Amino acid sequence: MGKRFVGIIYAALILIIAAGCSTTKPDISTTKSDSLIVAIGSEPDTGFDPTKGWGRYGSPLFQSTLLKRDDDLKIEGDLATSYEVSEDGKTWTVKLRSDVTFSDGERLTSEDVKFTFDTSASNGSAIDLTNLASVSAGPDEVVFQLKEPQSTFIYYLITTGIVPKHAYSATYAEQPIGSGPFTFVQWDRGQQLIVEANETYYGSKPSFKKLTFLFLNEDAAFAAAKAGSVDVAYIPSAFSKQQVAGMRLEAVKSVDNRGIAFPYVSTGGQTDKGYPIGNDVTADKAIRLAINTVIDREKLVEGVLEGHGSPAYTANDGLPWWNEDTKFPDHDAKAAATILQAGGWSDSDKDGVVEKDGLKAEFTLLYPAGDVTRQSLALAASEMVKEAGIQINVEGKSWDELETLMHANAVMLGWGSHDPLEMYNLYSSDFGGVDYYNTGYYSNPAVDEWFEKALNARTEEEAIGFWTKAQWDGQTGLSAKGDAPWAWLVNIDHLYLVKDGLDIGKQRIQPHGHGWPVTDNIASWSWK
Amino acid sequence: MNRTSTLYHDRRHRRWNERSRTFISAILALILLASIGIGSWLLGSSGLSVQLENRNLAPSFLHLFGTDWLGRDMLSRTVKGLWLSIRVGLLGAACSVIIAAAMGLMAATLGQTADRIISWLIDVFLSVPHLVMLILIAFVCGGGLKGIAIGIMLTHWPSLARIIRAEALQLMSTDYVLVARKLGSSRFTIAMRHLAPHLLPQLLVGLLVLFPHAVLHEAAITFLGLGMSPHQPAIGIILSESMRYLSTGMWWLAVFPGLGLLLTVRAFDKLGNHLRQLVDPRHTHL
Repeated sequence: MGKRFVGIIYAALILIIAAGCSTTKPDISTTKSDSLIVAIGSEPDTGFDPTKGWGRYGSPLFQSTLLKRDDDLKIEGDLATSYEVSEDGKTWTVKLRSDVTFSDGERLTSEDVKFTFDTSASNGSAIDLTNLASVSAGPDEVVFQLKEPQSTFIYYLITTGIVPKHAYSATYAEQPIGSGPFTFVQWDRGQQLIVEANETYYGSKPSFKKLTFLFLNEDAAFAAAKAGSVDVAYIPSAFSKQQVAGMRLEAVKSVDNRGIAFPYVSTGGQTDKGYPIGNDVTADKAIRLAINTVIDREKLVEGVLEGHGSPAYTANDGLPWWNEDTKFPDHDAKAAATILQAGGWSDSDKDGVVEKDGLKAEFTLLYPAGDVTRQSLALAASEMVKEAGIQINVEGKSWDELETLMHANAVMLGWGSHDPLEMYNLYSSDFGGVDYYNTGYYSNPAVDEWFEKALNARTEEEAIGFWTKAQWDGQTGLSAKGDAPWAWLVNIDHLYLVKDGLDIGKQRIQPHGHGWPVTDNIASWSWK
Repeated sequence: MNRTSTLYHDRRHRRWNERSRTFISAILALILLASIGIGSWLLGSSGLSVQLENRNLAPSFLHLFGTDWLGRDMLSRTVKGLWLSIRVGLLGAACSVIIAAAMGLMAATLGQTADRIISWLIDVFLSVPHLVMLILIAFVCGGGLKGIAIGIMLTHWPSLARIIRAEALQLMSTDYVLVARKLGSSRFTIAMRHLAPHLLPQLLVGLLVLFPHAVLHEAAITFLGLGMSPHQPAIGIILSESMRYLSTGMWWLAVFPGLGLLLTVRAFDKLGNHLRQLVDPRHTHL
């Protein structure tokens, strides 16, 4: 009797639990509401202040910029109606629209522009405005006086959102006011950002009244997409094979690249902080060239990125300042062997690893421990170079440890920007050992000279000519055809799960930017 | 013991007595240990290399445990991972036992003040959840295998130390120890010559009970990412990586390494329990 009673109670319990489960099933609705929930990126730590770096990736949302890029990456006016550069390249005159107001009703004037750039220059952290001598504000006109001519100054006009002088305070980053397509509603640190459409926006108004940005990690974002609770989710390639009901996968081309930065100099040096510089093996050009030649980039794209990517030859593939001559046939073990032999490397003790004067072609490749893609790339690449007789030992480290080791060991890093200044930062001898830029202390006077010319150019077109020359000028260059201080491996397509019926417009080649670049054209998103 | 419980005991274990069961579990555990050790040595490092053309293969005769998303053979990774965990576990458990023995003997022989201090230390260590403590120590030591091993050593001794202390105190009041003290033997001599030999069985049991515990903790720490480079084969790392791919249907990434860990831990746990029954049937808890 007792047993049967217990059995009945169990059955009842299971029924209740099962019923409970079915009622909590998410409600996947396909109604076209005027609000969107997106899980696309990591949270900006420093808040939403453009003078501290907000808006470098993607749209600044709340603020608007003087200039902007269209979908083909051509530069066009936003707050500015036109701009002019003087003959000597030192004076930039920007004419402003006169009909723009901030979301609090105040008019946006040239004083605000001056204030924004002055503040950015004095913050000095995220935006390098050391070349800016002065800013003067006239009626609907701003004049930037530079110390030296700098063609890349235009990128600050594209990326720096204008902040209001009258409403700028210490807490601005947490409660931004601006003239952009959206106004700030609420920011719950670590959780979400809520914005509303700006009713007084001067451009074409966004078709969504309200946007919620959830700050989820990649796994959680994918889970949220599967549960139907977000409209757009940024996902890693590991999840790309799975179908999600009611959503489609959009793969956006990018210059978000990954590559191996080699120490370019021999051992012996030390940084100011006492970290070692240089590596005798990677300082040998034959080794760097052989690695570049033997690696099968297509296979990396297929195997590690599930096909969602493209082979990378430079840090700026596909951008207007890319030199297409830098492409070369890879996955060529024979060519690599020839290069090594010509460089004096041979496998005299038959252990599968080549030597030169008693030095084994063996070095350590570091990757940030938390990054699965970089880990996979590092492991796969180290396997591929074995074919050329080069031994790469792979080690995962935290970013803190990487900073102490990255000048003396090869590192798996990632870059990619809509600004050729990045190329300058990565390869110029002035940036040797600065931040994560030129970790290997690369330096080539010829390349530095091209950089100098590019920076001094008056127009972007003129500068682009010099930027491409810096990569390869027929004699030398920073690409793998020249000195090969890097072995670029892949450009990673950015993958977004987008709800069926939602049109996210024509996506541009996206820069490195943790999901945010998709917001570049967020004002033009709509339901189909 | 009353009649009914004896009967029950007889019926359940009529085929083998405690001794033979201990013996069998010891043999099984040894076989497991040897096969993992020898397997790890035989497999070499070839299975750990990346083979992009063999990605995501389900278990087959060529790859008994399947392959992962980089084409690495899961059998090699599992065996290597288990071997690593076992070595760390063994080292950690052995050092824990040594610390526990030293502490217990010191508490018993060095007088009341020392006893109080050591008892207090044991209480302090027992009052903090030892996984938290372990994470802290591993972190301070800079992670890596060294950090984990030191962490396990420093966190697993208190419970055993308490038992050793109690046993040793009991022995201190036995006639032969009293006589030895009256004859002027030093404390060290008493501890080493008269107490330690009697405590050896307890220490052996302690080692065997702590060992699976330490293996589990090694797995837990590497699972949390405090251990070594994430591409090295450690059982915790393998399990945490597999989480990502479980939803894509690659069950073999977690099942085989998980089973391997379970089997190892269970085998030694069982052996430890049998041995404890045999050595000291009165104590049921450690």
